[in-house]
Amino acid sequence: MNKSSSGPIRTAILVVLGLIWLAPVYLLIVNASKSIDGYDAKTVWKPAGFSLFTNFGDAWSKASLGDTLVATTLYSVVAPVLAVLIGAAAGYAIVVLKLRRGFLWFVFIFGGTIFPLQMVLMPLFSGYANSGLYDTRVGMIIVYTAISVPFSAFVMRNFFTGIARSVFEAAIVDGGGLFRIFRSIYLPMAGSALAAIFILQATFVWNDLLLGLTLSQSESVRPIMPALTGLQSTYGGAALPTVLAGGLLVSLPTVILFLAAQRFFSRGLALGQF
Amino acid sequence: MERPTATRKAGAKQSARTGARAAPLFGLPAAAVVALLLYLPFLWTTYVSFTDYNGLASPVWSGLTNYKAMFSDPDLVGALTNTLLWVVGLVTLPVVLGLLVAVLTYGHKWGTWLRLPFLLPYAISGVAVGVIWGFVLQPDGALGQVLGFLGLPGAHTGWLQAGPGNTLMMIVAVTWQAAGVNALLFVVGLQSIPAEPLEAARLDGAEGFKLFLHQLWPQLRPITTVVIGLSIVGSLKTFDVVWVMTQGGPGTSSETLALSMYKETFVLNDYGQGAAIALFLSLVTFAASILYLRYQLSDGDAR
Amino acid sequence: MQRINRKALTALAVAGALALSACGGGGGGTGVAKGDDKPVDSLKFYNDKGGWKDAFTQVGAASKKDVGVGMEPVGYSDSNTYTAFIRSSFRTKEKADLFSWHTGKELQDLVDQKLVAETTDQWTKAVADGNIPAQLKQYFTYGDKQYCVPLNAGYWVMYYNKAVFKKAGVTQAPKTWPELLAVADKVKAAGVKPFYQTNILFSFVWFETLLAGKDPDLYDALATGKAKYTDPGVVEVMNEWKKMIDAGYFSDPGSKTEPQAQLKNGDVAMINFGTWFSGNLNTLKMKAGADYDFFVIPNVNASLPKTSMIFETGPVCSAAQSDHASTVKKWTDWWVTPQAQTAWANSRGDLSFNPKAEVKDPGLASLNKDVGGDGYRLINRWFEATPVPVANKALEVFGAFVTKPGDPMPGLQKIQAEADAYWAKQK
Repeated sequence: MNKSSSGPIRTAILVVLGLIWLAPVYLLIVNASKSIDGYDAKTVWKPAGFSLFTNFGDAWSKASLGDTLVATTLYSVVAPVLAVLIGAAAGYAIVVLKLRRGFLWFVFIFGGTIFPLQMVLMPLFSGYANSGLYDTRVGMIIVYTAISVPFSAFVMRNFFTGIARSVFEAAIVDGGGLFRIFRSIYLPMAGSALAAIFILQATFVWNDLLLGLTLSQSESVRPIMPALTGLQSTYGGAALPTVLAGGLLVSLPTVILFLAAQRFFSRGLALGQF
Repeated sequence: MERPTATRKAGAKQSARTGARAAPLFGLPAAAVVALLLYLPFLWTTYVSFTDYNGLASPVWSGLTNYKAMFSDPDLVGALTNTLLWVVGLVTLPVVLGLLVAVLTYGHKWGTWLRLPFLLPYAISGVAVGVIWGFVLQPDGALGQVLGFLGLPGAHTGWLQAGPGNTLMMIVAVTWQAAGVNALLFVVGLQSIPAEPLEAARLDGAEGFKLFLHQLWPQLRPITTVVIGLSIVGSLKTFDVVWVMTQGGPGTSSETLALSMYKETFVLNDYGQGAAIALFLSLVTFAASILYLRYQLSDGDAR
Repeated sequence: MQRINRKALTALAVAGALALSACGGGGGGTGVAKGDDKPVDSLKFYNDKGGWKDAFTQVGAASKKDVGVGMEPVGYSDSNTYTAFIRSSFRTKEKADLFSWHTGKELQDLVDQKLVAETTDQWTKAVADGNIPAQLKQYFTYGDKQYCVPLNAGYWVMYYNKAVFKKAGVTQAPKTWPELLAVADKVKAAGVKPFYQTNILFSFVWFETLLAGKDPDLYDALATGKAKYTDPGVVEVMNEWKKMIDAGYFSDPGSKTEPQAQLKNGDVAMINFGTWFSGNLNTLKMKAGADYDFFVIPNVNASLPKTSMIFETGPVCSAAQSDHASTVKKWTDWWVTPQAQTAWANSRGDLSFNPKAEVKDPGLASLNKDVGGDGYRLINRWFEATPVPVANKALEVFGAFVTKPGDPMPGLQKIQAEADAYWAKQK
């Protein structure tokens, strides 16, 4: 907005808070860099050596992370994109097209997020096994899309309420088809909301453990978290620095995603607000 | 000149009606995918809650037995209390912090970068988060060492060893991850606030907190609704963090409804009992969120 | 508009009904169709020991070489999810050819529902050949038949850090309980916590050690519901435990540092664990005999005729009427042989249930030989011996007890209430 927003007090508060927030990340990096036999719980704050890349390598091979990369990337990209579009379409229908009994539709779609995931797991497994979707990439994409849709629909529905009605009316008068209006006017306007939903859902799917564990078993279908948590078993798991290095390694793509998507959130204001 | 306008207007009206008629098509993919993959399994779970089922034999109808057992369990009060603590905690702390971060960084020269430390926690995988917070909070762990270093009391406390302290500390751990998510959503909300009324108010001399209260806060309402609505649902469902850090213990001091549900189903193989708790939890979540949303969205629909 | 709405709803309802019938359908094992027995050259081994992946893969290569049937592990890193998955899988075509499980009630549930393959003939032959000790048979027997074969056997011993012992001036492993306490005192005087304890998952360890070492008959009676948790013998054990905790013999139960790291860094001197712990210590580059060693835990009650040795064994099972029954039998026949067990034990640095296996670690090898002999009374680990709802309640009580020991009676009463409810249902 303007330069007075960058005042020193503001910056100071943010920097202090930011440093406190980064403390656990510091702990993570420092301890993931310690060698297997150099770790001691009494000195978690002190760095001791830099075996980070060795530990990365250990975690990578011990957990066979490479096998799961392609599948997990596929899920984390395709499912959120589908969810974003499906959710935006629902929001568009409810708010812009004034879907009849729109609130009920909204409650129904939002209600999908109310069920605790653990309870949905076993019936879903039976259904998947009997319908042949078990242990398939398509099956995983479908379920990841389904759990991302309620969040997406919620955000998009509320976002669209912030766009003036006149935009729609003018577009109709200009002779646009409903789908074209959706695609070329509403979606572009919602850029930052779409990006936020995508990032948050992609991260969620990337970090998912339970669904991957329950609905798949082959190494080419399983996502990355079930493979990673295998390092942490009481019965013969890996040493702590290796586990931490694995956790850090697996987090790198999502961190990069957050960094790359920042440009959506550094813009000033969206268009078409009057 | 009049005729074309009249035709256009008539055409617009017709399109608007077609819009309303075609609207269900736009909403159908969302409703269908949610119905098939989320509602159906939940209908099955509802059925199981009225049966005696161990995952192996067929479910045997048992009526309200599971519900009666749930409500007469002395540990239920403790679980409810902890669950309530979680709701209050997660609806306030991460929301306020997220809002603070969003407002402070918005329009700031380095806003994007100053926001990053808050976003990183969400990007880090659950495995690493669980282990690291375990080490921060264990007796003489990282937190204890910092306190000892600064000469503050409490260095040898077992933060996770007794309720309700352990629940509070775990709320802090979740806040660490959730504040950034909320900040991101609030930034999205801030970005859709029209510039002109804001500039006008600024020219009129409003600034700082007053500007926020009168200009920004009301316009943030749609996104605030999202943040709080999701926080309500998320807090009631919280499971992973508690399971990794304390498993509901020591004893049952940090157990929540979600944990009871999980224990009954996956540890005790009493699927019927777990399903009953799940249904109860879902109804509570549903009631809480719909009450809130009904109130908040009532004028949103009219727009 | 209303037409579209109604059409959509009808379509959803039909799809829903179909799907519901698909996922809700199927009863117990009686609904399972008999599979056609097709020979295959590789079997999938489902397990919840994700950390043993490399070991499983090694064994799979060995079986491929020896009998032409490979084995591919499918590991689940979360035990509860794994159990739920296996239980659900019996009604689908994903039922498992080979899967790890737990003895006790968990196995009995499967047997009752006729979901798991019978192995009586294999047991008879294996015991006759000396590949499986006869003492283990009872844990795999229901009715007159045996089911599954052993996956592993672990004996619970006291591991110790040699450097800490040296520092504390301890020269010999203790052979009696008073000697053990004396060692603990010496170690405490040297500034190190004598014993490891945790309040999550393994909070029962010292309970079982003290009870089995004091009155193994009471221990066995407790497991079968013939004694109560509120009996004076049990209360005595709890009070003894409290005395030890109050005397500062145990490490902080809330610590999240892994036990092997605590032993390695000298935070604790001794850890009471199963012999599979050797593998954990080896991961941290500790060497048997040089950095660490172990001794058999002496009985608390010196007048008992045999040393109580707590052991755990897990079964490897196969779903009944699996499609690959003959291949499974071929593989499990190989599994119990000494050459297979040698490969298995050494892949994890542990010992094997087969006394003829050639275990590399000399300490473990001699333990394996001794334990089959007359001086020991094998006691099934408390976790497997106790019914699940009772164990669940007891773990909560023990976890709270080790964190803050107080009057044991209220906790014991809670456990007994669960036990009463459970055993009443069994009648």
